[in-house]
Amino acid sequence: MKNVKRCLSVFLTVILMFSLLTACGKNQEVQETDRSTSKDAAAADSGAKTAGTEEEAKEPVTLATMSMFGGTDPNAGNYQTINEEFMKENPYITLEDDSQTSDQDWKTKIAADFAVGNEPDVIQYFTDANASDVLAADKFVSIDEIRAEYPDYAKDTLDTALKAAANPDGVERAVPTTGYWEGLFCNKDLFDQYSLELPTDWDKMLKAINTFKTNGIVPIAVSLNNVPHYWVEFLMLSAAGPESYTTVPDKAPEDWAKGLSMFKTLRDMGAFPEDTDTIDNDLAGELFKNKQAAMQLDGSWYAGGIPDQENTAVVAFPVIPGGKAASGAMVGGISSGFYITKKAWEDPDKRDAAVKFVMAHTNKESVAKYWGGNGQAACAVEPVADMTPLGISGLNYYSSAAASISAPTDSRLSQEAYNTLIAGIVGVSTGDVDPTELLNEVLSINAKK
Amino acid sequence: MLYKKKLPLLAFLLPGFTLMLVFLYEPFLENIINSFYDMNTFAKMPGQEWKFLGLDNFKKLFSDPKIRIAIINSFKMMGLTIIFQVGIAFVLAVLVSFIKRGQQFFRTVYFFPIVISATAIGLIFKLFYNYNGGMLNQLLKALDRKPVNWLAPDIAFIMVSIPILWSYVGFYFVIMLTGLCDISDDVYEAASIDGCSKFKQVFYITIPLLRGVICTCVTLAVTGALKVFDLPWVIVPKGAPQGVTHFLGTYMYEQTFTIGNIDYGSAIALLIVVFGIVVAQITSRILKPDANL
Repeated sequence: MKNVKRCLSVFLTVILMFSLLTACGKNQEVQETDRSTSKDAAAADSGAKTAGTEEEAKEPVTLATMSMFGGTDPNAGNYQTINEEFMKENPYITLEDDSQTSDQDWKTKIAADFAVGNEPDVIQYFTDANASDVLAADKFVSIDEIRAEYPDYAKDTLDTALKAAANPDGVERAVPTTGYWEGLFCNKDLFDQYSLELPTDWDKMLKAINTFKTNGIVPIAVSLNNVPHYWVEFLMLSAAGPESYTTVPDKAPEDWAKGLSMFKTLRDMGAFPEDTDTIDNDLAGELFKNKQAAMQLDGSWYAGGIPDQENTAVVAFPVIPGGKAASGAMVGGISSGFYITKKAWEDPDKRDAAVKFVMAHTNKESVAKYWGGNGQAACAVEPVADMTPLGISGLNYYSSAAASISAPTDSRLSQEAYNTLIAGIVGVSTGDVDPTELLNEVLSINAKK
Repeated sequence: MLYKKKLPLLAFLLPGFTLMLVFLYEPFLENIINSFYDMNTFAKMPGQEWKFLGLDNFKKLFSDPKIRIAIINSFKMMGLTIIFQVGIAFVLAVLVSFIKRGQQFFRTVYFFPIVISATAIGLIFKLFYNYNGGMLNQLLKALDRKPVNWLAPDIAFIMVSIPILWSYVGFYFVIMLTGLCDISDDVYEAASIDGCSKFKQVFYITIPLLRGVICTCVTLAVTGALKVFDLPWVIVPKGAPQGVTHFLGTYMYEQTFTIGNIDYGSAIALLIVVFGIVVAQITSRILKPDANL
């Protein structure tokens, strides 16, 4: 009996230990499989080179891909469709896609993956300062290097778009699909109802705010606690002008502070929702979409989700009093693109598949799908035939009304510095935080990085 | 000695200890180290070096007005949990223990909020408090009253505290009711024969005999108040409005994951642990749950 108990306890202990170590064991197995696969791949590659037969070169390839076209992104469907077509055309390539909406958690996950060598083969990611942590790992291949072997790589992409998508060090690594603009969306029918002109200058803006406020309509839908980003950008751009706005000074420029101080002016006027400190950005957006709010500052991606495409218009942000920007100064640009990692590039099997994948997503047809009339296309695409009045309004705003296009501040500041700026906006709007002090804190954080 | 052979003991304890070491103590140690460095990213990129800051993050804890709010709110929450979570749970447990039929029903009803995830409760209350079309304002509209900003800075803390306190009453209620079941009915019967009223029975029998359970509940409630995070983060993220609803947990999360000041977030995390140990020790010394008084 004693022996049976002893045997049973030893057996249970062994089972427990094995169950705990299962994950590690499996991982090792996978790694070993990977290693043997890559050995096989290398052998196959050398065979392919010597024999030159295509059959050997088309060994099954699994490509790990990631993009920001996931979740609720308007282009998630287009991305999946292109992936399906790509796999049909290249049956030997299997995609293991892990696309998600780009938020802070996702960015953290990506940074951790790159740090520990678990990066994907192809990733659609930021090109500006938002990518600085990932770029520090030096794991992307430059377009020049790829073109040396694949001269047709990114052939449809405009040179200006490639330049706009260059990383902060000036090296072009990412192939972009679309760019974006930010603008002031207005419920035209509400303006007509109260015989108001669209806010093309600050006086009209003030008149509209006062009129809407008096009539129980929220003048501007914004969540200062959640997404005050667009207002931060336009107020600083309007006050400082494109040149000062796009430089990163050591100390808070007077114009930037002047722009931010407009938050308090607008709040005191009652321009923002009563619960602007607590409302979510999505709920603020609903106020605009349900005609409970008259104006909303947002990006080109927002246009597609507006139900009333007939009575919504996009106008340039009016210049604030004493502002140095010209009328029509716009925030926009290209901030993301498809990268090939060195991991895929140095794998003889994956190299070709990765190049094909990026080209499938960045060719003229795919870019036209992604663009759909919203924002800026990275290729010379044909205009969309059945554009809605809002789509036309956005296109006119971008193509003819823009006096200048400047990339937003987060493309130049470190994430911590920019997030500190955003976190301080509620305080600035209530007058508890001095804009100059906040900006000095932000710039000192930025200088440390 | 209870066990002569130590090997089986070791064999069973080792896996658990290894897990604790790898997933709790080692990260905690890493967290302490992180609080002394200026971290740019969560994971160090190859070739990247983090600047040594020394005690800068800890000095900042003394000058940061928002951490002051977070500490005050966390301590306020400790007091509220003792009064409203443990207090209400005790009253409910005593009342339910008096009834002979339907005890199981009340157990289920009061315990139910514990089963619902905090995120779901947070979302429900967020929809209650919503200024535009929220349930409370719809009721006011039906009564022809003006809508109220239920999350305005002057009342936001109270409004956020309500679901936090409510959602955990059931947890302490079940613990108390289990404790009450352990008190022999003979004691109550003897007291009734001697003419002791129900009210007096609670004071002279229930509370003294339930002292150990009450002390455990108070310790759990007080230390639990330091860990408050999910509900306020769902209802009023980032300490909204104007930072007045920040708790230590929410402020740590905001600094670490929203702003990206990872090293300062690590310092706050260490502060939470220190507060947790100190508060648990103080509570234990004041209440002396194991003492025979």
